[in-house]
Amino acid sequence: MKLAADRILSLLLLGLAAFIAVQAWQLQVPFSYDPVGPKAFPLLLSGLLAILAIVLFIRPGASGQWPTGALLLRLVFTMAVLGIYAALFINLGYLATTALVSIVIAWLFGAAPVKAVVGGLLLAVGSYLLFTYGLGISLPTGSWIESLLGSN
Amino acid sequence: MFDFLIQGFGVALTPLNLGLAFLGALLGTLFGALPGIGPINGIAILMPLAYTLGLPAESALILLAGIYTGSEYGGRMSSILLNVPGDAGAVMTTLDGHPLAKKGLAGPALGLSAVSSFIGATVAIIGLTLFAPLLAIVAVKFGPAEFFALMIFAFASMSAMMGKDPVKTLIGAVLGVLISTVGVDSGTGVLRFTFDMPELYDGIDFVVMIIGLFAVSEILLMLEHAFRHDQEGEMAPIGRVMVKMSEVLYCKWAILRSSVIGFVIGVLPGTGASVASAVAYTTEKRISDHDNSFGTGNMRGLAAPEAANNASAAGSFVPMLTLGIPGSGTTAILLGALMLYNINPGPMMFREQPVVVGGLIASLYIGNVMLLLLNLPLAGVFARVLQVPRWLLVPSVAILAFVGVYQLHSDLMAIYLMLIIGVFGYLLRKFGFSLAPVVLGFVLGGLMEENLRRALSISGGDVGILFQSGLSIGLWIAAALVVLIPMFAGKLKAKFLPAAKAS
Repeated sequence: MKLAADRILSLLLLGLAAFIAVQAWQLQVPFSYDPVGPKAFPLLLSGLLAILAIVLFIRPGASGQWPTGALLLRLVFTMAVLGIYAALFINLGYLATTALVSIVIAWLFGAAPVKAVVGGLLLAVGSYLLFTYGLGISLPTGSWIESLLGSN
Repeated sequence: MFDFLIQGFGVALTPLNLGLAFLGALLGTLFGALPGIGPINGIAILMPLAYTLGLPAESALILLAGIYTGSEYGGRMSSILLNVPGDAGAVMTTLDGHPLAKKGLAGPALGLSAVSSFIGATVAIIGLTLFAPLLAIVAVKFGPAEFFALMIFAFASMSAMMGKDPVKTLIGAVLGVLISTVGVDSGTGVLRFTFDMPELYDGIDFVVMIIGLFAVSEILLMLEHAFRHDQEGEMAPIGRVMVKMSEVLYCKWAILRSSVIGFVIGVLPGTGASVASAVAYTTEKRISDHDNSFGTGNMRGLAAPEAANNASAAGSFVPMLTLGIPGSGTTAILLGALMLYNINPGPMMFREQPVVVGGLIASLYIGNVMLLLLNLPLAGVFARVLQVPRWLLVPSVAILAFVGVYQLHSDLMAIYLMLIIGVFGYLLRKFGFSLAPVVLGFVLGGLMEENLRRALSISGGDVGILFQSGLSIGLWIAAALVVLIPMFAGKLKAKFLPAAKAS
C-alpha cells in the first residue's frame, strides 16, 4: 500500500467532480441571451477533473510523509487554537486573544514557558501599537473592556 | 513609443512612491530571508498592508512589486547560509551557494548573488521595457476567443514546465478555477455553489483565499518541520562581506547568459523562477564547468541561477502587464491585487492604465538599484533575520494573517473561511501539489469563463469560433506542442536537466 495517498486523493477528486456535476446540473437557469449559461463551465471542469483524477489513479506518485501520532495531535491542536482565536477575536478583544494565542503557539513550537509568556505578551502589545498607531487599523478592543469602560 | 516610461518615472519618483519602493524592498528582503517564508508567502502575508494604507492602485502595485523583487533577494540568504531554499526557485542557489559558505566565503557569495541578481533583473527590466509595448500592440488584436486560447496555453505551459507532476499541476489549476466559480454568476445572476450561505454570494474573497492558502498552511508546515527537527542547519559565518571585482568578472558571461535565459523563460506564461534557475544552472554547467567543480562551490554555479531567478521575476511581468496573464504564481497574486482595484487585466490594460503600468516598470528600475545598495553592505544584518526563532515567527505570521483578513472584512466568517482554506492548502501541499497553479486558476478562472461565454455568444453557441483566427489557432497549436513535446522527448529532457533531477 505504498502508493495509497494519491489513490485516495483521486477517489476524493472523483467524488468532488460528481458532486460539482450534480450541483451544476440542478441550477435553475432563467431565460437569457447567453447561449452557454452558468451550467456549462462547471460541467466542463468537473469532466476535466474526473479525467485527471482517473489518470492520477492509474499513475499515482510517491505518498510522501504524513503526520501521525503526536505530530497529528499537535497539528489538530494548532488549528483548534487558531479556531478559538477566531471565535474570541472580537468579543475578548485583540490584546487578550493575541497574547494568549501567541503564548500557546510559542509553547507548541518548543519555547520555554517563561520565554513563551514574555514573547507572547510583547508580541501582542507591540503588534497592537504598530497596527493601531502605525498603520491606523482599528482592532477589536473586546466587549468586556468596553463594558468596563462603559460602567465607569 | 516610450512615453509610458517617461510618464512612469513621473509617477515612481514622487516621494510617496519612492518611499513605498524602498519600504517594499526592505520588507521584501526581510520577509524573503525569514526561515521558511519564500517570496510568494511574503507577498501573501503582506498584501493586505497595501489596502490598509489606503493607497491608490499604482502605489499599491509599486509596494507589492518591491516586496516581490525584494523577497527574491532575501530568499538567497537561507539558501546560501543554511542550505534551506525558501522556495522552489531557490533550490539551484543552494547547489553552489552553500558549499561556498562552508568554505568560509559566505560573504562574497551573498555579495555575488546580489550583483548577479541586480544584473539579471536589470537585463530583464530593459527587456520588459522593450517588449511590453510591442506585445501590447499584438494584444489589441485579441478577442475573447483568442484570450481564452491564451489562457489554455498558459495552463498548458505551466503543466509542462513546472514541477515533477504535470497531472497534479493541472488538477491544481482546475481546482483553482472551480473555486473561482463560487458566487453569483455574472452572466445570469444565478447563485452557484453557495449552499445558501450569504457570505459566499460574492464569491471567495481573494485576500481570504491567498492568506489561507499560503500563510495558514505555512504555519502547519512549520510546525511539522519543527517537530521533525528538519531544516536546522548550522549557520555559516559571513566572513568578508564584499565581493571582489575579479570574482564578478569571472562570472560575467555566466551572469549575462543566465539573465537572457531567465528573462525568456519568465516571459512564457505560467513558468517562473524554478524553471528559469534550473535551465540556467544546467546550461552554465555544460558551457563553463571544465573541471567538474559545479556543486562544490563554483562561483559561476551560484551566479547563474541567481541572475536567472531575478530575470525571470521581472520577465514574468511581461505577460501580466500586456496580456493580463501572469507569468508565475507570484504575479498571479499581484494581478489579483490589481483586480481588487477594479482594474481589468487583459490585452487592453497597457493602453487603458498607462499610469499603473508605466509607474510599475519605472519603479522596478528604481527598486532594483535600491536593493543592490541595501543588500551589498547590509547582507550581514539581514542574515540575522535567519536566526529569528520559530516560536516567535509563527505567532507573528498568525497575527498578520488574522489582522489582514479582519481589517478588510471585520467579519468572523471570513476568518473561519481563511482557516478552512488553510487546511485545504496544507493538504494540497502534503499531496505534493504546488500552490502556484491553484492561484493562477483562481485568478484567471473568472476571466476564462467570461471570455469563453462572450466568444460563444458572438458565434451564437458555435464552438468553431474558438479556432477561427490565425492567432487563436496558433495558440492552440502552441499549447498542444508544449504539452506533447516533453512527453515524446522524455529522453532528451533527462539529458538536458540532469542537475534538476539530482536535486
